[in-house]
Amino acid sequence: MSAFRLQQLKGHILPENKITTMAGSPSPLTTHVLNTAMGVPGSNMSLSLHRQDPLTKAWSLITAGVTNDDGRCPGLITAQLFTSGVYKLHFETAQYWASVGETSFYPYVEIVFTINEPGQKYHIPLLLSRFSYSTYRGS
Amino acid sequence: MAAEESSPLTTHVLNTGDGVPGTRMALSLHRLDSNLMIWTMLSVGTTNEDGRCSALISREAFTPGMYKLRFETGAYWESLGQTCFYPYVEVVFTISDPDQRFHLPLLMSRFSYSTYRGS
Repeated sequence: MSAFRLQQLKGHILPENKITTMAGSPSPLTTHVLNTAMGVPGSNMSLSLHRQDPLTKAWSLITAGVTNDDGRCPGLITAQLFTSGVYKLHFETAQYWASVGETSFYPYVEIVFTINEPGQKYHIPLLLSRFSYSTYRGS
Repeated sequence: MAAEESSPLTTHVLNTGDGVPGTRMALSLHRLDSNLMIWTMLSVGTTNEDGRCSALISREAFTPGMYKLRFETGAYWESLGQTCFYPYVEVVFTISDPDQRFHLPLLMSRFSYSTYRGS
């Protein structure tokens, strides 16, 4: 197969990180895990999204997933389900570092955040090493 | 002169949004009871003018295990008349060798934070 033909075929296939959740709309909430110690995406990391019940303060699981080769996890939530409230993203960091043969200071990382305007898009990366992490509201 | 910090675990809150220490932020230290799988609060405190909080834990109480530092970031920014994306920040960490010192700063703004094991 020629390189040109291969390029044509690639153009027909959606990249994995554009896999959509429902009715062709991407998730209004996205994340991106970067392994800053090794300068690579944090791929194959288990994570989950939870919402807090405003009355009982109990957490309920919305989605569980695994980051892809690019450290992303599409399809976290649909626009319909994404209502105002307090959410948390839970990342299985120690499990991740164990899978690359290392220990981790943090058994897991939870980022708790408040969504007041669910019509906006929220990108919440996690930059991670064995002994540090950072997060921010990005785009 | 302030007494030397004897707690083997220390923290330092920096407000990177304003370039000042995170003063008067409420925080608490908890340990996970590995049998009951519940968190026990060990100490509660408020950061001082330099964003630090002394006497988090004693050498004797600092045993191996899973701990978390919880920072009341939402209340902090509210006291400055601002909103914050994070109602609170919990940093969960594993202590295997409690003979060492552990300094865990929190650098934070309204829409970001970072933490690391420092010295």
